[in-house]
Amino acid sequence: MNKSIGRFAGFGLGLRKEHHARFLEADQPVDFVEIISENFMACGGQPLRTLDAVTERYPTAMHGVAMSLGSSAGLDSNYLAELKMLAHRVKPLWLSDHLCWTGAGGRGSHDLLPLPYDDEALDVCIANVTHAQDVLERPLLIENPSSYVSFAQNTMSEWQFLAALTQETGCYLLLDVNNVYVSSVNHGFDALAFLDGIPADRVRQIHLAGHSSGPQGLLIDTHDAPVCPKVWALYQAATARFGPCATMIERDDAIPQLEDLLAELSIARSHAGIKGLAA
Amino acid sequence: MSLAALQKTFLDAVSADDDAPAVSLGMAVYRDAYRTRLLGALESSFERTRRWTGDAAFAAAACHYILTRPPSSWTLDEYGADFSAALETLFAGDCEVAELAWIEWHMQRAFAARDSATLDAARLASAGLEGSDWDRLQFVPAAGFALRRLGTGAPALWTALADTGAAEPVLGEPEENHIIVWRRGLVPQLRVICAGEYAALNLISAGGTLGELASRPDSAELGSWLALWLVHGLFADFALASDQPATALL
Repeated sequence: MNKSIGRFAGFGLGLRKEHHARFLEADQPVDFVEIISENFMACGGQPLRTLDAVTERYPTAMHGVAMSLGSSAGLDSNYLAELKMLAHRVKPLWLSDHLCWTGAGGRGSHDLLPLPYDDEALDVCIANVTHAQDVLERPLLIENPSSYVSFAQNTMSEWQFLAALTQETGCYLLLDVNNVYVSSVNHGFDALAFLDGIPADRVRQIHLAGHSSGPQGLLIDTHDAPVCPKVWALYQAATARFGPCATMIERDDAIPQLEDLLAELSIARSHAGIKGLAA
Repeated sequence: MSLAALQKTFLDAVSADDDAPAVSLGMAVYRDAYRTRLLGALESSFERTRRWTGDAAFAAAACHYILTRPPSSWTLDEYGADFSAALETLFAGDCEVAELAWIEWHMQRAFAARDSATLDAARLASAGLEGSDWDRLQFVPAAGFALRRLGTGAPALWTALADTGAAEPVLGEPEENHIIVWRRGLVPQLRVICAGEYAALNLISAGGTLGELASRPDSAELGSWLALWLVHGLFADFALASDQPATALL
């Protein structure tokens, strides 16, 4: 297994079907695109032709939402086999998924459900990440999700949990700055303490996204709005601490015109103080 | 509480119906997201069915499905696999609803089905089959192949509902229809076929041989059907019954 992932200081966008044609009709000013892995696993036809055309033109990262790395029942071997097959086709910059679980007992949720941060959950995640990396023959990037509940049995913070996971498995981190902000508000922790608590040398990608306000001050990670000023400020702090790493605008709902997202990416470039590869 | 127990309890709470009390504001967020995501998947997969039933009736059926059929696959794309079967019960007096949903589901699955080779006449002719080989010939259906007998004019309804700006289509009198769905190149196909061709393709999809097809009462049509199937790319490959894969002959 190749145990290292080099730094890639590019600026990219999540590839969404609303923009497929735009990405293919002309070279867009992005350094990379990120696909949702599950959208192209176990399929063929036009979706796979589109993927092939995109990956010929743009460096591509593969981002998953269903590996369920926190599942107490272990990982789905069929899922891993399909993911590995897709990775063989795409030859991605890297594979990423979330610090969460998505189902239990044969039932799924199709959501990124929260874990307790205790020794048992850490052991489960270490075993699952190690297994996934062995099967996929590459290290993973693990993303911090937003969360709306916390557990009384927590014995460590989320950032301590992530730090231990990277140390024990050799995985890297995909830091979602919006998720740090959302969770910091929902659970009342210091977002900067989160940034200080994760190992700087393991961060390889940053996600930026918008969120919405729920009842009683709760923030919801909806990915349906532009990045807000407080998240931009946290992004500046992140780039100062972690140095150059791939940054991406992640929009999953209320998808705007491509120009709007490219403009947001330009803001990211200016906040990071670097121009990226394609600017 | 162990992690396994916690995850089971958590998932029970997330997938509970609307009348169950949410234990916290945060749990309500997860429960709402679960319901919204699954409803969105069904709405996306069954746009024409929803247009035909109306939003309220579709939402009621979808909510019943969500409560009774929790997702089990890692891919959300599979979530609607049993929806048309559920609609047979929920719309027992309106058979076209389930049939429309069946067509819609299989056309979408054909669109993104795994790629397969195409068996055409030239490839079959070059296989070097001789004598009794032809009697043992079996066909492997192409990507997304499915077939069904219908009791309504759902195929015409499916076509009419594609035009969102048109007036609401009218369902005709009950009529027996037989349809096949498959993908030709990159484009999903739907064709209404006669009862005899349906029976022949049903036999093929169950592993029947060309010899068995030839012994059927309506075998006079077989030659023209076979030519059409090969032109339309209905098959991915062939094999010889109780023998090695036919591709070994090539």
